[in-house]
Amino acid sequence: MRKTWAVARKELRQIARDPLSLVMLIGLPAFMLVLYGFALNFDVRHVALAVQDLDGSRASRDLLGAFVNSTYFDVTAVADAGDDLERITRMRSAKAVLVIPRGYGEDLAAGRNGDVQLLLDGTDATTAQTILGYAGSIAAEANSRLLHRALARTGTPAPDMTAYEPRVFYNPELRSTQFLVPGLIGFLLMLTAVLSTAMSVVREKERGTMEQIRVSPVRTAELILGKATPYLVISLLATAIIILAARVLFGVVVRGSYLDLFVATVLYLLGALGFGLLISTIADTQALAFQIGLLTSLLPAMLLSGFIFPIRTMPAVLRAITNLVPARHFLVVLRGIILKGAGLEPYLEQLVLLAVFAILTLGLASLRMSRREA
Amino acid sequence: MRTLWHVIVKELLQLRRDHKMLPLIFVAPVLQIVAFGYAVNTEVRDVPMVLVDQDRSPGSRDLVDRFVSSGYFTLVATEDTPRAIDPWLVSGRGHVALVIGPGYGAAREGGPQAGVQMIADGSDSSAATQALGYAAAIVNAADQERVRERVRLALAGGDVTPPGRIQLVPRVYYNADLKSRWFYVPAVLAMILMIMTMLLSAMAVVREKEIGTLEQLMVTPVAPWQLLVGKLAPFAAIGTLQVFLVTGVTTLWFGVPLRGSFLLLLGITQLFLLNTLGLGLLVSTLVRNQQQAMMAAAFLVMIPMIYLSGLIFPIENMPRVIQTVTYAIPLRYYSNVIRGIFLKGAGMETLWRESIVLALMGTGLLAIASLRFRKRLD
Amino acid sequence: MAAAVELRDLTKRFGDFVAVGGITLDVQAGEIFGFLGANGAGKSTTIRMMCGLLRPSGGSARVLGIDVAKDPEGVKRSIGYMSQRFSLYEDLTAQQNIRFFGGVYGLHGPEAREREQWAIEMTGLRGQEHRLTRELPGGWRQKLALACAVLHRPRVVFLDEPTSGVDPLSRRRFWALIDEMAASGVTVFVTTHYLDEAEYCHRLALIHAGRLAALGGVAELKQVFAGHAVLEVECPHPADALDTLSDAAWAREVAIFGTRLHVVVEDAERGAQQVQEALAATGNTPAQVARIVPSLEDVFIHHVEEAEAQKAAAARR
Repeated sequence: MRKTWAVARKELRQIARDPLSLVMLIGLPAFMLVLYGFALNFDVRHVALAVQDLDGSRASRDLLGAFVNSTYFDVTAVADAGDDLERITRMRSAKAVLVIPRGYGEDLAAGRNGDVQLLLDGTDATTAQTILGYAGSIAAEANSRLLHRALARTGTPAPDMTAYEPRVFYNPELRSTQFLVPGLIGFLLMLTAVLSTAMSVVREKERGTMEQIRVSPVRTAELILGKATPYLVISLLATAIIILAARVLFGVVVRGSYLDLFVATVLYLLGALGFGLLISTIADTQALAFQIGLLTSLLPAMLLSGFIFPIRTMPAVLRAITNLVPARHFLVVLRGIILKGAGLEPYLEQLVLLAVFAILTLGLASLRMSRREA
Repeated sequence: MRTLWHVIVKELLQLRRDHKMLPLIFVAPVLQIVAFGYAVNTEVRDVPMVLVDQDRSPGSRDLVDRFVSSGYFTLVATEDTPRAIDPWLVSGRGHVALVIGPGYGAAREGGPQAGVQMIADGSDSSAATQALGYAAAIVNAADQERVRERVRLALAGGDVTPPGRIQLVPRVYYNADLKSRWFYVPAVLAMILMIMTMLLSAMAVVREKEIGTLEQLMVTPVAPWQLLVGKLAPFAAIGTLQVFLVTGVTTLWFGVPLRGSFLLLLGITQLFLLNTLGLGLLVSTLVRNQQQAMMAAAFLVMIPMIYLSGLIFPIENMPRVIQTVTYAIPLRYYSNVIRGIFLKGAGMETLWRESIVLALMGTGLLAIASLRFRKRLD
Repeated sequence: MAAAVELRDLTKRFGDFVAVGGITLDVQAGEIFGFLGANGAGKSTTIRMMCGLLRPSGGSARVLGIDVAKDPEGVKRSIGYMSQRFSLYEDLTAQQNIRFFGGVYGLHGPEAREREQWAIEMTGLRGQEHRLTRELPGGWRQKLALACAVLHRPRVVFLDEPTSGVDPLSRRRFWALIDEMAASGVTVFVTTHYLDEAEYCHRLALIHAGRLAALGGVAELKQVFAGHAVLEVECPHPADALDTLSDAAWAREVAIFGTRLHVVVEDAERGAQQVQEALAATGNTPAQVARIVPSLEDVFIHHVEEAEAQKAAAARR
């Protein structure tokens, strides 16, 4: 124990001696949270819309009014007949162009379909999809109004519409930050824990001090524990800062118990630290350790964990692979505790998987380390 | 010129010697594209739905049918009471629950108003928003059909024609099928270039500082610019090679069209590389060891740039202040260039502004970095 | 003939800390000039200023008549520098290192090939030139580093602790190379903390806490003990003896050398007797006392103690 402490103390002193790294380890997560909180936003609002009304009838003005009065669209340009509409979207002066063709009003009045065109830039498919959804619902409402007006003219009472009541649990205002904060914790912890552990060991290898430690009577387990503990503490500190910042800046409140949160986080971190150590047994240079770390932890934690992109829609093979990504399981638990106020019981499966991952990586790392000793 | 050549040769020899690093330089991009190409899909489809049908009428069954056949929802369970929904949402096995209140079917036949409730797990806010929107549209469409029928009956025999239907006909430019892959896969090019040219070049310079060879080089008559160009050129060359690699995988494997000129892409990429190399060098003059270099380059420069450039998240959705900040980010312009050339077939006539900004920023960054990188220790 | 290196009141401050505090000295062409001092005395800082790596805070340094503060690049063409840290690319082969450094020094054509052959001969690496540098034994790497530093035939060579961590035999061979260079007219400015190596130098400067403590040839420096005798004392408890003798007014200097003590006294015989008596009084017997010829180490310690005593005296005033 004393030897472990000696290694841990040395590690802490080295970290403290390097204020830049320390600030980055602890402060960066909060910085990233702010960045993500503000920048990462899929809520599409105030879409810049250009309109071209070739009909100029009362019906066409009605429809335009529906678009103008919605909060979804801001009409930024009015195109005249003959304008190059593609140019408008290519120059990014508008995201979409609404074209009401000549004869639209007459068609509707005659009981025919009144076609209106929505031209839009499909480069960003997600945004385009959302815009199409908005436009579709505005058109649907306009249809409803037409029908009701027709009924009113005949004197028939309009039927009751279904009372559609959306209810949102856990995040009633549907703010992206609520969703992103737990994901961010998982992502950043994976990043700092894996990378800093791997780099710190590889740096010792590069400088030759690792050899020095090896000839001392420190056992592999003690060495691993001593190396990992300080980073565990720092990562927990970073977690605390993220949670605090999320509460102060974005009003994200932990609804579950902090103890549960702590248990899950430690379990996750042990796996991440073990993974970092494992990388360090493979890489000989810091640059290489960094690349491997980036590829095997950052990328999966960002793309394959359900942090931003839903796992459900991935191809089956990739979906299977995501099971190997610890961040995926951690995120389920984390969202449960933070947003749903759940305990650990519903997530036993995830916790067991995290524990297995931790045991595997730490075990493999110490195995590889001690084999070199022989 | 000869001196420069020697520095470049040395750098290449060292790269070649690094047996584990070399494959990574070429494997990493491919892995990244594949991951992005397959994993990134923001379409909301097959949302797992729990059903509580308290009406059990032909009308309610019709509504459920509409939900399932829309493709947006998949029925994962049927429960008897709304109370049974909770465990499904907590465990995440269900994301939404549809509760059809009693009397829904009767209301369709002209009875009093009935309620339909859609309960969503809001923790994934954007998916929940979209799912709720789709649900509203489905309920609405069912209602509208009923109203339209009523109008037809009411007007039957009269001389007034029922109103026509407003039909929205979307025409989507550049990405007709709205494949999110087309948006994300070309973006990988920018990320890889940043990692290769900025991160690795920063680390390569700091490494020489750490080992002490930089001090040795400083007493030679090699000019600072020769040292810099010699150190950076190989990374620029690798970056350029990766443009070929990434473009190949993007177009041949993922079928993303390259509508503009590849030569133009290569050309403007060189301008972008000025920026990344300048930033890498700048980082190297500000840090002491490789760990700091990678932390600073990755977290303070690369990741913020990726998120604030519009490469992944649309700039239009950001708060005004942040939108202003994005103008200072070279990647913002390069991201326009990539999308413009790949998807929109844009040429110099639309991209000249981006090219000029990239050239100016790149030269500025390199100049600042080289001024800081003097051949002195203090 | 002008001096190869001229330092005039050369000073370097890092904030409040004075690393080098006004050093003035000349080094003649073809001289092997030793720069002696403990670690942290300011040796490397001085050498880095002369190479144009650090800007002097005060005073001037001229190398081959060029002021290094004004024209650091001009100096670099005609000097060679081998830094304290071993500075070759370990992941390149010996030959690749030689070619690279030849290249950055601007060698090309037949001259480059000729110097490459020369470097391989000089280092004795013939047949090994394609091995990775990291696989070479320390002594060879050291010689290779020297060869790379002098490929361009510099007229002044600065070596910063060139032999730290090298075995004695390699060190001897290394000094033979330095001798050869000096014989051909190259000025060698070398720092070391191995006092035995200082004996190879034509002239020495002792530096302590950033200041010049003594300057001169080896024999000249040893003159400080003229009129005194150095006694070597062997006794059971040398640490106790150090306390006992330091208190004695007649012992001018006492220092521990391994398990023995060196004591500087006015008169050898009388001093020996006084030492015996003092040790016997504290029961630190049996003791053996013998007069010895003072080594450079004695000289070094003498100067350091003198400098410390002066500093203490100045502080008291």
